Amino acid sequence: MRPVGLYVERQSPIHGLDPITKLSYAVCLALVPFVAGDLRITFVALVVNLGLLVVGRVLREGLLALAGVGFFLATLFIVQGMVYPGNATPLVSVGPLVLYQEGLAHAAWLSARFINLTLSAFVLLFTTRPADLVDELMRAGLPPRVGYVLLSVLQIIPSMAARVSVIQDAQRSRGMETEGPVWVRMRALLPVLGPLVISSLVAMQERALALEVRGFGAPGPRTFYRPPWQHRLAWPVRLAALSALLGALVWRLAG
Amino acid sequence: MATGAQPRAGVWTTRWTTLTLVLIPVGIAINFVGKFVAQALKLPLWLDSIGTVLAAFIAGPWVGALTGALNNIIYGLTVDPVSLWYFITSVGIGLSAGIMARLGFIRSTARAVIAGLVVALVATVVSFPINIYLWSGQTGNVWGDALFTALTLRGVPLWLASFLDELVVDLPDKVLTVLIAFGLFRALPRRLLSQFDLGDAGHRRTA
Repeated sequence: MRPVGLYVERQSPIHGLDPITKLSYAVCLALVPFVAGDLRITFVALVVNLGLLVVGRVLREGLLALAGVGFFLATLFIVQGMVYPGNATPLVSVGPLVLYQEGLAHAAWLSARFINLTLSAFVLLFTTRPADLVDELMRAGLPPRVGYVLLSVLQIIPSMAARVSVIQDAQRSRGMETEGPVWVRMRALLPVLGPLVISSLVAMQERALALEVRGFGAPGPRTFYRPPWQHRLAWPVRLAALSALLGALVWRLAG
Repeated sequence: MATGAQPRAGVWTTRWTTLTLVLIPVGIAINFVGKFVAQALKLPLWLDSIGTVLAAFIAGPWVGALTGALNNIIYGLTVDPVSLWYFITSVGIGLSAGIMARLGFIRSTARAVIAGLVVALVATVVSFPINIYLWSGQTGNVWGDALFTALTLRGVPLWLASFLDELVVDLPDKVLTVLIAFGLFRALPRRLLSQFDLGDAGHRRTA
């Protein structure tokens, strides 16, 4: 069973950094282009993110994951190249379709902003075990019940995904069609989802009972199994990320 | 209440028990699996909110909204950061599905179609401003974007083209999502549902 998420287990300085610091970094850097509204600043943020993916030894995985959105970015260039309201200078024409310079520049800006958002998140996602992130969030004040919900999603999804293939095989052996035209494939939805969803909802009652007998609803403060995740660079990195965001704001206001 | 007559649940009533709380992660997992199965069957739909709708049917609009919000948060923190932007859409889907259920719109298939249309409209109204902000109006869906391009080239205003771009994708997707959730809801054992306040969503009434 593959765990949920993009996390890659490896040894690196970024992996060693505490999750909250990486989360603060990712949020600040992802927002920099939105605040600055400037393509050059976006490129600086992009280079910083790529650098950190190299330090975190996950650059290859990051770029592979980014390739998945390549198709969407291509449609962005085609559509914006054609319909962007500021279009004035024709650049390329393919048959009746004309791509304009301004629209393509606009698409470049939208994609740079999007790639930067994705890479900022990747610095966190590829180097942080999701369970560690939720643990640290609870320590920082996230209600334990919400923490339970997030953590148990991470456990339930792999087990449900594993059951999907078992149910699919079982139903296929009873003659369910999983290939062919859309209507045929659509009909395969209920025989697969039905048993899966209903059994998980019925099993949910047992889980609720198991939690209750272990004091899930008990009042009072909660304690943690693991000691807090401390790192000597935690505050310097958080402050640097925050000042990058403030710098972007100053750039916007001054420019 | 000695006679056992329960007070009727209102639209917003929520019974906050451990079971309700456990329903939320299961709902999120169903969202994930729905999307996974839709991709495995190569269907041209997302089907990534069946669990949110089902949680809303079972436990009401607030639980639906919470399931939607946490769904996009956990998804954004593990797989796809862009889904964080669309968390309001998921909240809207959960709220509207829960309200429609409590108003009695999942008592028959015909009514469930109406509920599906309402959920689709809410999802579209909430999503398209985000699309305009992030992507200058596109959705990333080939059919929707082709319509968007054709409309914009004919001089249709950007907001309207973007609204229709999102609507052509959301309409079939959300109607089917609600119908699937409706089918699953009807198949749930009564013993399970009796632990929630169903309001007017109550099914198979013996009266």
